[in-house]
Amino acid sequence: MEPTRNSHATLVDLLDRVLDKGLVINADIIISLAGVPLIGVNLRAALAGMDTMLKYGVMKDWDERTRAWEREQRQKKVEPICTARITR
Amino acid sequence: MGLETQHGGKTQATLATEAIVQEEGRYIYCVADAGEKLSLGRIGIEGHEVYTIPYRDICAVVHNCPTQPYQSDDQEVVKAWVMTHQKVVDAAWERWGTVLPLSFDTIIREEAEESAEQNVKDWLKQEYERLESQIGEVRGKAEYGVQVFWNPKLVAQNLTQTSPDIRNLEEEIKTKPKGLAYMYRQKLENLIKHEMEAAADEYFKNFYSQIRKHVDDVRVEKTKKVNPGLQMIMNLSCLVYRDRYTELGEELDKINRMEGFLVRFTGPWPPYSFVGGA
Repeated sequence: MEPTRNSHATLVDLLDRVLDKGLVINADIIISLAGVPLIGVNLRAALAGMDTMLKYGVMKDWDERTRAWEREQRQKKVEPICTARITR
Repeated sequence: MGLETQHGGKTQATLATEAIVQEEGRYIYCVADAGEKLSLGRIGIEGHEVYTIPYRDICAVVHNCPTQPYQSDDQEVVKAWVMTHQKVVDAAWERWGTVLPLSFDTIIREEAEESAEQNVKDWLKQEYERLESQIGEVRGKAEYGVQVFWNPKLVAQNLTQTSPDIRNLEEEIKTKPKGLAYMYRQKLENLIKHEMEAAADEYFKNFYSQIRKHVDDVRVEKTKKVNPGLQMIMNLSCLVYRDRYTELGEELDKINRMEGFLVRFTGPWPPYSFVGGA
């Protein structure tokens, strides 16, 4: 299957990335963004059902468990490198 | 370009109202893999001129703005800003091949002694090694979104047919008087829910390990409620070598062909999910 990036059908995917992700500058030269993270909330809510499963409730615990499982998998892979560095 | 004329009128108005507020901030779109100093034209948010501030072999792609975040209650306005942000990142991505996109509304301000421009340079200088290594990590790669949905009704139906526990309980219900049957129904619902979660677990781990083979890196995102008929059981951001996404697509085809399953495959996106630090 081919990936799509049609600006209408994938607007939510775009917002998820542009508003919540990307490189973060950790320095006090950044203007205060208090309240700004909320900027896309209404828009995303309007784009139909952007409630997360957490609100939906149905598979909340499941979702969290799955994500935890994945983090574990990731750490398992990273660990050997870290310990090698430390013992050296 | 089309954008210039499109924003032309708006820009005039914006400049007039901003005349009092000096444009001492630098809105940063992305860091690009090039040490060039040049203008990309008035393609920025509200028609601002986008240009680069270089340091060694990297540069920040910016526009001059007041030291105030972009904020609006008007959804259309926000939408236009976000899409423009993305267009600029795309333009830089296309031009220089590798970018580290920043999140919307990242503005560097001036300080008592230092101009915003100088602060951008100092930031590039201080963070140079980290930025350079992040550029190395995403070079030649793009981000793809993979969302897997299933039809919960269909899955529940299938489980009802295949799970001995569920079938036994259903048989039992038939023999119970009405009042008791209600309690049993509840019990049955819980059992189905439990088994569905177990099934989702299986599928997730299965799909994850299949997909993992074709991608360079992966981020597991929260699942979302999208529409009532379908339930998202997997939401991934995948970092993939740009010429290798067809393999991922083929893998996703296999999932998409399964009865009751649907896959959404989006991208290529600039690597938003892989530059924020784990």
